[in-house]
Amino acid sequence: MSAAVDFELSLKEEQGFLLHLSECKECQDEFDEAKKTKMIIKEKIVQFKAPQSLIDSIMELTSVSVH
Amino acid sequence: MLFETGGFQLMDKPDPARNVKTTTQKVSLSREERQKQLEFQKEAVVHLNSLYNYALHLTMNPSDAEDLVQETYLKAYRFFNSFERGTNCKAWLFKILKNNYINRFRKNSKEPGKVDYDLIKDFYHSIKDVQNDTSEDESDYFHSLLHEEVYQALHSLPEEFREVIQLCDIEGFTYEEIANMVESPIGTVRSRLYRGRKLLREQLEGYAKKYGFNTDKDQ
Repeated sequence: MSAAVDFELSLKEEQGFLLHLSECKECQDEFDEAKKTKMIIKEKIVQFKAPQSLIDSIMELTSVSVH
Repeated sequence: MLFETGGFQLMDKPDPARNVKTTTQKVSLSREERQKQLEFQKEAVVHLNSLYNYALHLTMNPSDAEDLVQETYLKAYRFFNSFERGTNCKAWLFKILKNNYINRFRKNSKEPGKVDYDLIKDFYHSIKDVQNDTSEDESDYFHSLLHEEVYQALHSLPEEFREVIQLCDIEGFTYEEIANMVESPIGTVRSRLYRGRKLLREQLEGYAKKYGFNTDKDQ
């Protein structure tokens, strides 16, 4: 199920999966729920910007002035 | 989402003052080394924000996260020649970071898997203050309530579940990459995602009842 949500199924597997969904309400509902959950995570979890001090020190690490 | 916009303009706009100071040093720097640096910047440094966020999730502490990321880049730079060009650099960096984390923090810290909710709340608020310095969308503030709930729910999950969800849903790695990073078979990754999301759903349903949570109206 999770493989379907994440587009990790082969074409054949996907076809089989979709076929089953068309016949099974319970699985269809669960699939919808799983997709919703994934969407919630993606949208709601904030990605923080790295602090400037960190950016600066990494740049320093990998640039010409450090020798 | 608010990230990865202004932070890397540093790369495109070289500081003229710096160039003047280092022209003498440039002579002693081989072309290979310079090439390596440029390539490293292009391939590895771009993932700084992602790495930082991953480190935050692992350590729940901004200064530990910073140290961890620095250590990771140090190591990555040193071993950059062993990185297979064309493969996923982000995955490679994540793996290094995870190993560093285990060596540094897991060995001598408190029991793993114990979630301190007060810590999460404080940490989240401290981060929010930091973020207010950067230009933030008004509407994001409204969403931040819900962010916190989802964040807490995610962190209440057992670590193995939380980790795969993060790597899959937030960072977008493939199952194969995740399997390599967590050193488990793909089947295990699948089932952890399945069970983790299910648990998460149950948690969020509890919040939804409290707040009339509705995802459909977003975008």
